[in-house]
Amino acid sequence: MSLSTQESDEDSNYVLVARLDNARTMANILKAVHFKDTAIIFASQNGLKVTVEDAKCVQANAFLQASLFQEFVIREDQVTFKVNLTVLLDCLNIFGTSQVGGVMTALKLCYTGYGNPICLLLEENGVLTDCSLTTQDPEETLDFNFSSTNVINKIIMKSECLKEAFSELDMTSEVLQILMSPDKPHFRLSTFGSAGSSHSDFPKESDMMESFQCEKTQSNRYKISLLKPSVKALMLSSRISLRMDRRGFLSMQYMIKTDDGQVCFVEYFCAPDEMEEIDEDACS
Amino acid sequence: MIASLKGLSYEERLRAFNLPSLEHRRRRGDMLQVYKTLNGIDRNAMWWCHSVVGGAHIGALKRMFLLSSTQQGSDPVFTFTTLLGIKPLTCVFGRAVHSLSKIGDELYIEPLEQGLSLRTVNSSRSAFACFVFSPSFFLHYDDGKTEDLSKPTTDHDDDDYDDSTIRCKIGMKSCLNVFKSLSTLEKTVEKCKININMQDARVIFQLYCRHGIMKTYNLAFIESETLQAVFSKDHTPNVLTTQSRLLCDAVTNFQTTQEEVSLIVNEDEVILKNYVEDEPDPNKIIHTQMRLNPEEFQVFQVGVNAEVTFCLKELRAVLHFSESANLPISIHFESPGKPIIFCLDSDPSFEANFVLATLADVSTQVSCSQRSTQTAQSKSKDSRNITAKKRQISSNNERSASKRHQDESNISASSFLSRNENIIKTKPREKTTNPTALQAATDHLLNYVELANDTKQSFSTNTETRETELRNNSQVLLTTSPRDSEEEESPRIPLQMHQQSTHQIISGFEEPEEQEEEVPGTPPHATQFKSLFFGLSQASSMASQQVRSPQTAHGEPMVLAEDTDDED
Repeated sequence: MSLSTQESDEDSNYVLVARLDNARTMANILKAVHFKDTAIIFASQNGLKVTVEDAKCVQANAFLQASLFQEFVIREDQVTFKVNLTVLLDCLNIFGTSQVGGVMTALKLCYTGYGNPICLLLEENGVLTDCSLTTQDPEETLDFNFSSTNVINKIIMKSECLKEAFSELDMTSEVLQILMSPDKPHFRLSTFGSAGSSHSDFPKESDMMESFQCEKTQSNRYKISLLKPSVKALMLSSRISLRMDRRGFLSMQYMIKTDDGQVCFVEYFCAPDEMEEIDEDACS
Repeated sequence: MIASLKGLSYEERLRAFNLPSLEHRRRRGDMLQVYKTLNGIDRNAMWWCHSVVGGAHIGALKRMFLLSSTQQGSDPVFTFTTLLGIKPLTCVFGRAVHSLSKIGDELYIEPLEQGLSLRTVNSSRSAFACFVFSPSFFLHYDDGKTEDLSKPTTDHDDDDYDDSTIRCKIGMKSCLNVFKSLSTLEKTVEKCKININMQDARVIFQLYCRHGIMKTYNLAFIESETLQAVFSKDHTPNVLTTQSRLLCDAVTNFQTTQEEVSLIVNEDEVILKNYVEDEPDPNKIIHTQMRLNPEEFQVFQVGVNAEVTFCLKELRAVLHFSESANLPISIHFESPGKPIIFCLDSDPSFEANFVLATLADVSTQVSCSQRSTQTAQSKSKDSRNITAKKRQISSNNERSASKRHQDESNISASSFLSRNENIIKTKPREKTTNPTALQAATDHLLNYVELANDTKQSFSTNTETRETELRNNSQVLLTTSPRDSEEEESPRIPLQMHQQSTHQIISGFEEPEEQEEEVPGTPPHATQFKSLFFGLSQASSMASQQVRSPQTAHGEPMVLAEDTDDED
């Protein structure tokens, strides 16, 4: 078909070309990290990584691996640019957010290179939409220097029970204290609000826990306002892995299943509110 | 097995072997166990886990065992559990908290003799709600007052109110946070433990959820005095009991913005209608009226025809709870100005009482001293007070009532309220005369006078517009005038009546707004509800509910009960 020849002609101009049969997949993943307007997109041979940061304390990364796309061509080693995430999501959802009758929106994303806008072509039921988003110079993203070797405590669990716990967090509290310990209580989320303190305990024997590896008792506080956006990702996910390293930095990795059965990951890094480790709360 | 016993019944077989029945043996075993437990011989609690059937006696023994086994001086601990699939008790508790949250902002927790009480009152003190959960509701109930029976020498006997009694209040919002999502509660919570820690001034709610998850909420509390409303359910002449479904359906007919609703009863019917205070333009107000048949009520006892007006929002709070629990609801009420009590006591394990203040007639707002100043103005005011009840007034009553009414006209609260003890049993129709007319019934008839007059004229027609006009004053309407009081009418009244009758009738149709201005010192009508209800005089007695709210000498609006917390 002429389109394919067109493609191959035009595509040679593009530094990055990605085709996806169901734009909703990408839209959903990006929604999980959408707590700020701008995002930095890193494209590499492996796929796309969308990074959103806030207050230099929290960073969210959404990974869209190359295998997710029907076609993923990148002509350079790495392509990075900054784009307005809100607008990008609006474009991806241009045909509406509800999915009726299994009709899918096809997406083609093209990027010519530095200084050029990214081009989104969306098609649904014969209707074609052409979007052009300006790109900006990418900023330096934080490097939390979170390496697996530094990880002291790691928990992998099902998201269900955490969903409840996070959605019921006492928002009058400024901080969320996370305790991970080899002893009881193994995993505890605490808030200290105007009404008093509340704790949610998750024992390691619980059938919600898939893996529990804690070496040392660690309790750190994180600003609730920074962690709140991660709840979006939590709601979409089926499994979550929480890791805390020596410095108290928290890494939460969410496994999200897409419509077509593929798996994507979203990761949140958060710096603790206070650098020093706090002993277990004296509150009963 | 034994051939000779083949074909015999269970009883016969027992008799043959001279054996006691299983029930007897179970009882005997229970008694033995209780003896052992109470005397500290055997603290093994496993025995009561055996039987699942026969729950009632097991429950009682369980409680006795647990109560006796607690250490003295321990903090009160109330544990209740939800047996999923059998009775989601935590949900009932959570719903109770939700229901209370719709009324007041603070939750008063206090263990009583009958059980754990949760109480609240609204900011204007015109609504009080109280839930009492008996020990049978809980799996384990320890109110910290139990004596350690194994040590008879220690004196842990608590009188009604000494320092060891726990009375605390917590913010409603924080308590609501614990039971935030009822659907989650239902699905995931298996057990809930409530612990009151006096040292740290914390109420601790622990929710034991599925998958071993436990949620703990430590809520700070403030020690407070008892919050108790003074009311009596037992002496109200009117009692209606029905499934809450009926009331729910009735209430959905009213607009959500509707603030007050009136409940009118007579022998034949029960009417719920929306209450309209001011009516600048009759065309702009929607009038809603629902008539219910006495047959739809399980208990329909109308001692006096009555029309009471109360806040709809609070009724919705009551129904919010009762409907989900699917319980029958009892309504006890008497006359305007007296509180109306919604009672949910069909379930043996808990009892709920919602006491709402009702609108009193305008006269109750005026102090005694103003009685004499009443003139035609007040009379006209009263005429406007006429309400639907008027229809029921017989012509005889009307005449005499109007006579009496003239003089007293704006019977102040004092006169009205001062007769509280001998409350006017306003008569319904002639057929159902209530012989307990008051001595000073004349005062009460003030409204009736007007009523009578106007009723004669047009109320029999029962037109809605008429009613609404008359209601404009937001006066609580008295019920029909008592017959007996006719004899007691003072001689001076008749003189004025005839003069005034026409005047009243005419004035009755006016839009009554000036009443507020007329009477100096009358609180704005918006406050007619409040301070009628809670009062000072009961503060000291904090025991159970009083029978009657005593009236102050000045006939100021009676306060029935009050939260004597000094912070107020």
